[in-house]
Amino acid sequence: MKTKRTFLSILTLCIALLFTACSGKGTADTEKSQNTKTESGSKSADDSDSKLNDLYQQENQIFADHEDVWNKAFGMMSKSAADPNGNYADSLADTVESNKESFTDDELKTLTADIETIRKIEEQIAEIEKKNTGSDKTDQKNSSKDASPFKNFSGQDYDGNSVDESLFSKNAVTVINFWFTGCKPCVAELSKLNELNDAIKSMGGEVVGINTETFDGNKTAIKEAKTILEKQGAKYRNLSIDSSSDAGKYASDIMAFPTTILVDRNGNIVGDPMLGGIDNQDNYDTLMKQIQSVIDADSTKK
Amino acid sequence: MDKKTKLLSKKVARIRGWIQAIATLLTNIHISNLLKGKIYQGKIKTVCVPGLNCYSCPAATGACPIGAFQAVIGSSRFKFSYYITGFFILLGVTLGRFICGFLCPFGWFQDLLHKIPGKKFSTARLKPLRYLKYIILIVFVILLPLFVTNSIGMGDPFFCKYICPQGVLEGAIPLSLGNTAIRSALGTLFSFKCLILITVVVLSILFYRPFCKWICPLGAIYSLFNKISFLNIKVEGSKCVGCNQCSKACKMDIDVCKTPNHPECIRCGACIKACPKDAIQYQFLGKTCPKKEQQQSTITNR
Repeated sequence: MKTKRTFLSILTLCIALLFTACSGKGTADTEKSQNTKTESGSKSADDSDSKLNDLYQQENQIFADHEDVWNKAFGMMSKSAADPNGNYADSLADTVESNKESFTDDELKTLTADIETIRKIEEQIAEIEKKNTGSDKTDQKNSSKDASPFKNFSGQDYDGNSVDESLFSKNAVTVINFWFTGCKPCVAELSKLNELNDAIKSMGGEVVGINTETFDGNKTAIKEAKTILEKQGAKYRNLSIDSSSDAGKYASDIMAFPTTILVDRNGNIVGDPMLGGIDNQDNYDTLMKQIQSVIDADSTKK
Repeated sequence: MDKKTKLLSKKVARIRGWIQAIATLLTNIHISNLLKGKIYQGKIKTVCVPGLNCYSCPAATGACPIGAFQAVIGSSRFKFSYYITGFFILLGVTLGRFICGFLCPFGWFQDLLHKIPGKKFSTARLKPLRYLKYIILIVFVILLPLFVTNSIGMGDPFFCKYICPQGVLEGAIPLSLGNTAIRSALGTLFSFKCLILITVVVLSILFYRPFCKWICPLGAIYSLFNKISFLNIKVEGSKCVGCNQCSKACKMDIDVCKTPNHPECIRCGACIKACPKDAIQYQFLGKTCPKKEQQQSTITNR
């Protein structure tokens, strides 16, 4: 009798542990998959890649640490003023310099201190990138081999205008939201996505919706999607794509909706897809941070 | 002829576990998908399976009727699901809760759990809890998805979202194991439903089929047809000696002699096996009642 009871409790414990074990393994797996994604190219390029990533992350950390001030500064930054060949820190310093009067003394202090650290990081980045120009070429070859599903992109907006991969090249970051009309959480976040679109427009970003029911120009589905978008006040672009295209196949493989991904200027997917609506504030913040880092990476590349 | 049927009934009851195993395999035929973390989405997925089997199980052959019913009721396009209601009536009238005893994967899961040795408790005193499943059916499957909707008339599948342990067992756990993105999206709702699953698992070891008796809305629907279903159980009064072995053997707490086709009967055949006089047997469109046969022919003529 007693042994049976212990057996029972052990079994329950095992089941409970199973779940925690799963989640533990989960994070490990994520790391692994991220590693495999970057594992193109030679080993040395890999090393410097991780070094570069690390440096970029350090920069982003600096921006995140003094988020309020930096967001203020980024708002004042004019795109054309940035010198593509100069140190990123210089353009930052210029911006701060020319808008001196709008910051308090404390804010200026943190900004100038941050800029100095960034300048050092940028110098390291430039050095690594110079070394890498050779291996970079092989890298690019590799990446074109396992091409992103958005490399040969084509689609139509709901008014029948054709769109190709220039959709991405115009913006530093394109937020692609996959949804379908019968999906309640997807519909629930449409208005928030519209807000996001307005927010990132000035930063060089755009939100694009892809409704999986509207594939292949399905007219009734487009009509339905249109009505729902209007009702939810979503004015950003929505596209209908071919189900047989690479992007269409990518969308068909999505197992949970809504899924939101970030695509950079070159049509490459950045980071892991985000599942769940951004009407949840945590999700919104996470996505916003990712968007910011893609934009930052884009402006440093220039 | 008569003797043959009796033997057959006992034979069928004896191999019930194997029939359940085969039924579970057939309703989850795409086993390789379990490793990929991908859901089969082909044409056959639009067909409902008889038992409670989550649509989101990567291996699932078809859709769960309860899930599909809620999805249709909760969608903004339709208010009532004729297809699935017809499906319920068809299966209810032909098989009744035979489905619970022989075809339902979650029923089998509970049967297997109950085989784990330990102290077993009778549910005879907990009979009032049986009515809980009808409340769950009306409130969570019908009323809440129908009336708790957003601005454009979309409701949540409340039973699937907040209660169903089969969804966690077959859907959430295998999907999140095979799919990094889904794993990263798991939150408190997942933990809550894992808790429900663990509770059901523990209760299933202590009691016989607690989920079927008290919670399952699908069983509640089929139970409404149990008295009139073509496949039913017959007790031959002339052979019965009133030993009550059948009622003692019944794990669903039914007085078999009085009400062989009680709504709670899952046609498991425990009584058939237990009867020393071979007085109990399955019958389909009972050869002993030609009236029903006539009714059937008029129905098919229409």
